[in-house]
Amino acid sequence: MSLPLISLMIVIPLLGAIIAFISKTRNQARYAAIIASIIPLLITVKMYFQLDPSKMWVVESYDWIPLAGIKYAVGVDGISMPLILLANIVIPLTILFAFGETKQTSKFYGLLLLEQVGVIGVFSSLDFFMFYIFWEVTLIPMYFLISIWGGPRKDYAAIKFFIYTHVASLVMLLAIFSLYFTALAKTGIPNFDMAYLIGMYSGFDPAIKDIIFFALLFGFLVKMPAVPFHTWLPDAHVEAPTAGSVVLAALLLKMGGYGLFRVMLPMLPHTTNTSMVITVVAIIAVVSIVYGAFLALAQKDLKKMVAYSSISHMGYVTLGFVSLVPLSVTGAMYQQFSHGLITCILFMSCGIIQHGAHTRIINDLGGLVQKMPKLTFLMLGGFLASLGLPGMSGFIAEFTILAGAITTLYVYVLIAVFGGIAVTAAYHLWAIQKAMFGVFNEKLGDVHDMARYEMISMAILLLLVIYFGINPDSVWNVMEAGANIVLAGANI
Amino acid sequence: MNYSPLIPELIVVLVGLIVVFFGLFLPLRVKKGLGCISALALIASIVYILKSGVLSTSERAGVYFYEAYAIDSLSQFFKLVFLAVSLIIVIASIKRYEDNKYQDEYYGLLLFATFGMMIVASSNDLVTLFIGFELASMSTYILAGFDKTNPKSLEAAMKYYIIGSVSSAIMLFGLSLLYGVTGTTNIEGISAYIAANGIADAPGIAILVFLIAGFAFKMALVPFHMWAPDTYEGAPTMISAMLAAGSKKMGFVAAFKVFIVALIALRLDLQSVFFILAIITMTYGNVVAISQKSIKRMLAYSSVAQAGYIAMAFVIMTPLAVGAGMLYILSHAFMKSGAFIAVGAVTHMLWTKNKNVENADYLKNFAGLAQRAPYTALAMLIFVFALAGIPPTAGFVSKFFLFSSAIQAGYISLVVIAILNSALSLYYYARLVKYMYVLPPAGETLKEPRAYLLAMLIAIIAIFAIGIYPAPFLDWAMNAAATIGM
Repeated sequence: MSLPLISLMIVIPLLGAIIAFISKTRNQARYAAIIASIIPLLITVKMYFQLDPSKMWVVESYDWIPLAGIKYAVGVDGISMPLILLANIVIPLTILFAFGETKQTSKFYGLLLLEQVGVIGVFSSLDFFMFYIFWEVTLIPMYFLISIWGGPRKDYAAIKFFIYTHVASLVMLLAIFSLYFTALAKTGIPNFDMAYLIGMYSGFDPAIKDIIFFALLFGFLVKMPAVPFHTWLPDAHVEAPTAGSVVLAALLLKMGGYGLFRVMLPMLPHTTNTSMVITVVAIIAVVSIVYGAFLALAQKDLKKMVAYSSISHMGYVTLGFVSLVPLSVTGAMYQQFSHGLITCILFMSCGIIQHGAHTRIINDLGGLVQKMPKLTFLMLGGFLASLGLPGMSGFIAEFTILAGAITTLYVYVLIAVFGGIAVTAAYHLWAIQKAMFGVFNEKLGDVHDMARYEMISMAILLLLVIYFGINPDSVWNVMEAGANIVLAGANI
Repeated sequence: MNYSPLIPELIVVLVGLIVVFFGLFLPLRVKKGLGCISALALIASIVYILKSGVLSTSERAGVYFYEAYAIDSLSQFFKLVFLAVSLIIVIASIKRYEDNKYQDEYYGLLLFATFGMMIVASSNDLVTLFIGFELASMSTYILAGFDKTNPKSLEAAMKYYIIGSVSSAIMLFGLSLLYGVTGTTNIEGISAYIAANGIADAPGIAILVFLIAGFAFKMALVPFHMWAPDTYEGAPTMISAMLAAGSKKMGFVAAFKVFIVALIALRLDLQSVFFILAIITMTYGNVVAISQKSIKRMLAYSSVAQAGYIAMAFVIMTPLAVGAGMLYILSHAFMKSGAFIAVGAVTHMLWTKNKNVENADYLKNFAGLAQRAPYTALAMLIFVFALAGIPPTAGFVSKFFLFSSAIQAGYISLVVIAILNSALSLYYYARLVKYMYVLPPAGETLKEPRAYLLAMLIAIIAIFAIGIYPAPFLDWAMNAAATIGM
């Protein structure tokens, strides 16, 4: 009998979280956290080399609530495996980055591990009930991370984040109910299985199809977030502690994108008016790309700029998804993976600048390279990756999305290219030029460079970004197989 | 005839009598033992019900006393709710009232109240139902005023008593009309009579109005909820827990029996009335809860709101909805009693430090509770997140099935309002969590009394058991729903 690898990945961080919560000293908490978060990474790597991405793999399935057809079912395929890899890379590195945390450390590391539990659960669930539970479970640790370790307006930001995303989840839940009961009414067999319910969707009554589709889409787009449902994000990001921002941007946003590929993509061709849906989603995507970039350009606070850049970059995911071409769908998945790594570097840089210079206002900074050479180097790498420099992972993703989408959505691609890319380059370069280069602002006083664990964490991330920029195949092939399966299953 | 299914009731009432009798002679220092005996009696009854297997079948296990008293999975399910709530309250009270010389009466009354609720759960006859209702009410009227030196407690008891008696009278009038029309007090007899002969509009509507007013008072549905916040705030916290988690459910079981079994012919009118009541109740409860300073009052309004969710079962009236409503009732019993016990623990700890603390249950006293009393704060956190319906707790599972049943039956507008309410409630629950976990402590560390912790632990175990493995509980609830023809 083989080991239940995915369940282990969920249970080990959970145990680690409990150990961290009850640990008495800071050292106990942080070493427990780092060990508990690295074991899932080792498991993922082991699984990765044996993965056959063309089908659901290492499936575990047990009856949970037989009366309602609810199962405990987990598994991975080409869509979810890279995201699980991403989660298991990001969480240990975030914990390493936050090794110097001093405030209520046992809770801090415990909550980060709980995020890992929730995120892996979302990416591996094969049952809608489970999927929803894990989806909600990710909210609570983040609420605490923001409201205990957050900035000056943490109360407002935490509650806004919590309620806004909770409402979106509830709307999604209603859509899940409708899926379930419409299928139940058709067959008489209760079943919450995701693939089964998504497969049943094509045979539904047209009257209910669009409601279900848009309700689910709303749930996912709020999480991404896409304009106009993005307003919770800047507040949450700006007030969250660095580790919280990193997890939020690198992992929680990816849950929305994952929902698009896993749930929405197979349904999209079966909506009553597919071309209308594509138009709506493409407009949302392009507006997110362009408007997000312009918002980022207008920010004075470096962290807020990075937060808006996330909206812009996640717009590419939506655009790649809706173009329905294998190349750009794979590219969109790759963008999720790549943005997950790059955004970590950006938020970590903001955190170090805040910590060292006590401000993140771009105009108040300046010449930090003299005091923070190591940070400047790593941060420059991150910023160049984020603006899409060839040779880095972000370029591969955005290039393939646009190259694929131009065949089906060329108007939108043109708008995205002309409205978005130049502005994206502009805000990245201006920000780093003003903040890090030029004359040092003496008012900042004594500024230290980063600690060693912070440097190791960011350097690993940067190396990964470069590695996946030069050699995307290892992840790309897996995603491509996943994308092909979904697209073929949806008869596109 | 096999009378063994009646053993739980017998245990409760006999131990109640024993406690009151021996309380007359025992000195104060050993009276604590009476609480322990009461707790053991409740545990024994719970174990008996669980082992009897009635819960896992929808067949009736027995009918007694000229068809006035029935044992089936509905009755046993609700008895489980009442007994569990009483058990949690008795355990916490052992600490709360250890120095009180009237504690024998307290435990006796608690057991009699529980007995009354059990009678209601099993009654198959309007008269039996009314007697059980009054026994439970009378006992809780006295208990609400048990802190005799506290004017707030006396006010609470008085208010509860006056409004309670009036609504009992209204309910009794409704029941007598029902008897007058159908010529029988047997619930199934009424159902059969109406099915055969129909019921004219005039008496039908009058009966419905009177009965809804009577039951909705106990269920604390808006606009019959006025007594609830004042009483819950003023009454001893344990008794608030009893009223919110136990006695309120008595209103629901009575309503299930009378409305769904006897008056199913008036289904359409019932649905439209409860549609409005449910929406008003949940919205009003949540909106008003936001502005409360007193946690007990906040929990009172949240309990009103939760009654609104449960009342959705009367609107939807499908098997899944009624089953989910029952599951919600079971979950709510643990969540709400746990939350009140946690408030009780905090006030108790503050009072042992300083006898003259005023408004001990106010939000400001919860600041930094996570550092002052970490276990109580963690328990409270779990209770409020369960009340808000966050997975993986009982609150989530109950809401999941209840709201899904509404979707199944096509009540989209109802469920959208319920979900918006659920999000609204998150605000005041999260605010309490913020006070406990984010704000700096309002004083030094407190010593957490063990009896309270045990009571809260039981509630937490139940909340997670239902939340993580709901299958058996859902089975029981669906069986209970099946016994009333759902």
